Amino acid sequence: MAPANGPHRSSHPEPTATGAATSAAGGTSTAVGDANTSAGGAVTAEGRATATAGGAIAAAGGAIIGARGPLAAAEVAVAHVWARAAGPVRLGAGVAAPGGMVRLTRPDSTGEALPVWPDGVTPSLLEEHQVAPVTVERSGETRRVLAAALKCCWSDQQADPWPGDPAPVELVLDTYRALIGRTDDLMRNWAIGALRRLHDSAWVVLGDGVVSLGPRCALWPEESHAQLRELVRRLPEPQRPELTVVRDADIVAAARPAEPAPGAGADGGGRVEAAAGEFDDLLAGHDERRRAELVAAFMVVEHAAEPVQEVRFAALRDPALRRTLAEMLSRRGRTLIQHRDRWTSGYDDDVARAAYASGEERLSVSERAVLALVLVHSVAIPRAEGLLPEDSWLSPHPTPVEELRRHTQLPIGELEAALRTLRHAGLLGQVKAGEEAGGYVPGPQFHRLTPAARRRLQEELILAAGPNTPLAAAVLARRSAR
Amino acid sequence: MSVGSLNLERVSDQPLTLDAALTDEAVLSTYRRMFAALARDSGAVVDDPALVDIAETLFAAFAEAGEEWLTHEQMRFACRTYPADQFDNRLRVLKGLGAIREVFPKPNQLRYRASFTSVVGLMFIRRMMDDGGQSEMHRLLALEDLNVADPRTTMEEARQSAANMARAFRLWALELVTLTTGTIEELREQAPKLWGTEEIARRAQGLHATILTRWPELDRVCTDLRAAIYAYSDASRRAAGRLADSAGTTRNLTLLPTETWRTFTQTASPERLAAVLDGFVFDAPAPWHDPAAIARAVDEAPRPVPAQPTPPRSALPDPGPGSSLDGSADAALERLTAVAESLLGEASRVALADVLGRDWPSARRMLADLTTVDLRPELPYRLAWSDELSIDPDREPAWLSHGYLERT
Repeated sequence: MAPANGPHRSSHPEPTATGAATSAAGGTSTAVGDANTSAGGAVTAEGRATATAGGAIAAAGGAIIGARGPLAAAEVAVAHVWARAAGPVRLGAGVAAPGGMVRLTRPDSTGEALPVWPDGVTPSLLEEHQVAPVTVERSGETRRVLAAALKCCWSDQQADPWPGDPAPVELVLDTYRALIGRTDDLMRNWAIGALRRLHDSAWVVLGDGVVSLGPRCALWPEESHAQLRELVRRLPEPQRPELTVVRDADIVAAARPAEPAPGAGADGGGRVEAAAGEFDDLLAGHDERRRAELVAAFMVVEHAAEPVQEVRFAALRDPALRRTLAEMLSRRGRTLIQHRDRWTSGYDDDVARAAYASGEERLSVSERAVLALVLVHSVAIPRAEGLLPEDSWLSPHPTPVEELRRHTQLPIGELEAALRTLRHAGLLGQVKAGEEAGGYVPGPQFHRLTPAARRRLQEELILAAGPNTPLAAAVLARRSAR
Repeated sequence: MSVGSLNLERVSDQPLTLDAALTDEAVLSTYRRMFAALARDSGAVVDDPALVDIAETLFAAFAEAGEEWLTHEQMRFACRTYPADQFDNRLRVLKGLGAIREVFPKPNQLRYRASFTSVVGLMFIRRMMDDGGQSEMHRLLALEDLNVADPRTTMEEARQSAANMARAFRLWALELVTLTTGTIEELREQAPKLWGTEEIARRAQGLHATILTRWPELDRVCTDLRAAIYAYSDASRRAAGRLADSAGTTRNLTLLPTETWRTFTQTASPERLAAVLDGFVFDAPAPWHDPAAIARAVDEAPRPVPAQPTPPRSALPDPGPGSSLDGSADAALERLTAVAESLLGEASRVALADVLGRDWPSARRMLADLTTVDLRPELPYRLAWSDELSIDPDREPAWLSHGYLERT
């Protein structure tokens, strides 16, 4: 096992993941000695690799807020864009969290910041309003693995689940195995895939052979902890042979950095500092009912998979309330986007530009390339052939996987990994139809592009595909005129 | 051929939609424009695109036939999918204009051959239809480039060439300008066929430079040519600009042909593809795992199937219940006979009311047996029911129809 295994790139092909995963899962006696010296350095040394890994560690290498003192409104909006686009935002020592974010403080007073929602609601509010949230890939499996991780990491049940204690990956896998009663390799690969997806979305942190609870676990509301305790109690204890080569405690101790390195996510310890209410001034002027309507509309436009119907939400119907809603969104760098009688939210163009300029590219080259290919095949070509009447970046015409595999310059391994990441992020949707047909279409995230962003996407594609056409010249001329 | 019959013909093989009519009209207008210079009067160009298809089919058949030539019947056979009157009309015109001629010019000639010039002409027409003349301009420019570089070319020829080019570019630019001020639909339809790519402008400027270097005294003509090229580039850009501004957020994608898109996806490097999405911010995956949803997922987990223990068995040898039931028909008959005999005793007839027990469970078992006895013709007993019915709430059964078991 390589000493500097570091945090995992999420793009390992899942079917062949067993080897890589075993090395990440550690549990071999040789790993321990090296890991002691390397685990601390891995996160900081691999700045760039870490940054692109997505999720908690990604943000740790990407967006860092180091400034002291209160942030200006524009900076708060940019921080919220970072948090939404790249996961939890890393905070320097003693730096306060931007408004509307909870601060997860580490023992060394650095921390991570995560957006919370107004009035203590969570995205489960969508269920009450019967609005479909963004679909979670293999949700049952993913949640069962999360439950197993919770059982292993939440050692002191009198305290909050987060931060908990790190637990060896093997223990989590054994717990999951006891839960579903299957022991085959396929189960193991699926569970590791689920762990990696949870890592990418900051629900767990996969370190060097250990798993700890990710920052998002701190967002479970206080009143649901009893339910989680009950759940953990119900989970069966894994049957483990008494004598493993290395004791669990040693694996955990080995993975813990010798001296606490700043931002080492796998390290235990920490406390949650509640977020300052950022919308109080906007919401205070409304009575209980209006306030609830505003919060509900805020949650559905931010978290629903598809744009929601105007008639179903008072805060979308009523222009005055909608104005307040737009103001709430704009404090988070978001803006309302209308599709006929439906609404959703997206990044405000100016704030997104500022965030892009100061942050790091989150999608890798091959991921962006695959996305561009799907846009050409599913939108541009059907449009050029007159098959796509709707003026939209969503499309019912799937890009066949074969087309991507055979007729592009992308290596197959990178292609598969990119497809998986993009699917997981809701940037691509998979269409299944029979054995051969089916493929990929642009995902629900394309609902969230502002008209300006949609137009820019069109221009970028034209500039790339037909750089010598008068159309490209016109686009460039128009841009330089602005 | 009348327009009426033409319409009838078309209705029969495919519905004449507005779209189809528009497409046909667009094709015809290009034909008219191309041959305006040659036509004798304004009605001289075909009024149905199918007529050109007939000519093309004929030429293909001639190419196939080689030195065998073709007879009238063979020509008709090659064009069998077209109506006879259309074919005759075409053949008459083609013969009249010399595109199809007798193999030897003598009376009663039966075999025909096609004219090479007409075939080439038709190829040219098809190409013009496809891209509105852009590729012709490319070829023309390439040829002129070769011509002016040829040492045998005289200054007069070069002047002529430059003047022709200038005129073509000017007319092209004028057409684009007219389109740019017209309706957006027409612009969208026509402009991409007319506007010049940078390639054309570059070639034209190359030609201009060659002429000017070789014959500096032609600077006047060259200035004209230069102005025409600039005017054309400018008109192209303006038309594209108007389209780019007017369109929606994906509508302009139609303005590049499908082939361009395909080539792009197949040849572009990952870096070039990725650059398209530079500057776009997308959401990171952030699904919400609610505690209730996690609990639900755990409850719905595929449970391990517990190994089902076999029920405990006695240590003693147990032959099972099989032998306690005598399945043979004789045994059943014997049992039924015994039942009947025990009820009848010595008598030949006994009232059911007397033999049925006081409790319903045993009475009903008895009735079932007696009914079986009654239904077995080989047994010498019958049930006889009367219409009488006695009702006694204190007794069980409370309702009792009167009947007798009889020996036969």
